Amino acid sequence: MTGITRREFLRASGVGMVVGGLAGGCAGAARGDMAPKTGRRVVVIGGGWGGATAAKYVRLADPSIEVILLEPNRTFVSCPFSNLVLSGVRTIDSLTFDYRGLRRHGVSVRHEAATAIEPETRRVRVGEGYLQYDRLIVSPGVEFQWEQVEGLAENQDKVLHAWKAGPQTVQLAAQLGSMPDGGVFVLTIPPAAYRCPPGPYERTCQVAWYLKNNKPKSKLIVLDANQNIISKAGLFRAAWRDYPNIDYRASNKVVKVDPSGREVATDFGDKVKYDVVNLIPPQRAGTIAVQADLVGADKRWCEVNHLTYESVKHRDIHVIGDSTIGLPVPKSGNIANAMGKICAVAVVHLLDGKQPPALPPGNTCYSWVNDREAIAVVNAYKIDGGKVVQIEQKLTPGQSVAVAQNAVGWATSIWNDILG
Amino acid sequence: MRIALTLVFILAVAGAAGAGPLDAPGATKALNCAACHGPSGQSPSDAMPILAGLWPEYFKKAIQDYAAGRRPSPEMEPYAKQVLELGVDDVAAYFASQQRASTKVKVDAAAVERGRAAAQQCAVCHGSEGKGDRAKLIPDITGQPPGYLRTQMLLFKEDRRSPGDERLKALKALMKTIPDETFADLAAYFSSVR
Repeated sequence: MTGITRREFLRASGVGMVVGGLAGGCAGAARGDMAPKTGRRVVVIGGGWGGATAAKYVRLADPSIEVILLEPNRTFVSCPFSNLVLSGVRTIDSLTFDYRGLRRHGVSVRHEAATAIEPETRRVRVGEGYLQYDRLIVSPGVEFQWEQVEGLAENQDKVLHAWKAGPQTVQLAAQLGSMPDGGVFVLTIPPAAYRCPPGPYERTCQVAWYLKNNKPKSKLIVLDANQNIISKAGLFRAAWRDYPNIDYRASNKVVKVDPSGREVATDFGDKVKYDVVNLIPPQRAGTIAVQADLVGADKRWCEVNHLTYESVKHRDIHVIGDSTIGLPVPKSGNIANAMGKICAVAVVHLLDGKQPPALPPGNTCYSWVNDREAIAVVNAYKIDGGKVVQIEQKLTPGQSVAVAQNAVGWATSIWNDILG
Repeated sequence: MRIALTLVFILAVAGAAGAGPLDAPGATKALNCAACHGPSGQSPSDAMPILAGLWPEYFKKAIQDYAAGRRPSPEMEPYAKQVLELGVDDVAAYFASQQRASTKVKVDAAAVERGRAAAQQCAVCHGSEGKGDRAKLIPDITGQPPGYLRTQMLLFKEDRRSPGDERLKALKALMKTIPDETFADLAAYFSSVR
């Protein structure tokens, strides 16, 4: 970005007017510097699994560094375990946490949205004001590519994704609950890469389990844009033997939805009727990452240094979590948590003028196949030649209550690791 | 720009003295462990064991056994290989240096009393209070989460933990004589010993 003015940058990324318009006035005029910087400061954008972890761990690594976390939502709702809300096995409240723990670590949590990034002046714009940073950690999660499915953008209130845990999760559970017995529930899966590779297949299990027990005449049709189940395939196939109500159709990419006709259409022109639809749209990096020109040529994902998570496009800006691409890791909460810690340590080393340690992430991923049994896949990595490389992947031999107990243990610990 | 960079440099030097809990040797190599085993190995859950305060030689043996598949665990095998890659001695020393606080998982007082009465049979190896014997690598099982302790007893009984290990033959034979429901009582008791 060096040598490009802010105006040129905003024009190139095409967001300047949009941001100014949304903020309802002339950007930069009213609020100015929202919190003048007195010492070293790290700003974190996004308080999800990656960002909240990073904010906490920068403070743990060096409490002399000021950390400001920008997150519009006042509560953190866990995506992992949220499929259990659809089946009624868990409540959304049991997955909802506040940010008090981070404040106890001295993180300044501001419930506001970052609206633009100015790499050249090291500023994050927040509406009409701005915050200065020495290093910026961007953890914006995913945004949906509404335009990829005809009829979706204008029907976001009716055609639910429930792919960001929260109000939509509760609404979809209500739609499932009020569906008549004998009704058809259609779940559509976007082409990889998307957030949480096994998530749609776990959701398939939870919806099928609910229907089997509550609406035995109903059917679940799964339209998967991918050629096969893309995670834990053998374990999910085995689990689905308990659910004859599942009609799984691979290589069925949904390109159109018509809520008035209660119908979706695939790229082959096949039409499928539904009583309730759960359409998981195709995804890209969170909007701020696209606006700030952190994404690559694909305009979807952000490439980063494997040791520091610094963007390959802009200095002093680090990107973690689901928005990243290029590491052999899934877009999972556990990976975002690991990246948050490693990135925090790297950022503190870099601020101290030191070489960051070479630390690899790890991934533990549990999926619930009914109300009391789970399966898991675990990936461990190492750093080889400056790149993250997988050491090993292991699957549980089958589904079991014991694995589900470990899943609960994992969730208890990692929620605490992120927010406690 | 130059002024800003200079300022950053000055502030960086000024702040370099700040010491945090991640400065301990091995702390950063143990970061991934915290996702399941809690901050500083202080597991908050019922299922995952507390690693804080583990004897380093016991931790090292466990990691080596997991990595080699001698102690089968699909969750731990990949991570054990990662710990060996990063340097198991550093990670073992880090957890050994952490003060262990007993589990906060609540147990039923009646179960604790039943477990206390049944615990005599464990004392032969683990000592009268379950504090173990470091020279023989028999672990201190006190204060560990009850769910974890119970699961381990079941795994021993079914010969699924360290199958074929000659040194554990007597332990497994003993476990086969204990009804499953007593494991919950024993777990409640040992988790409550301070």
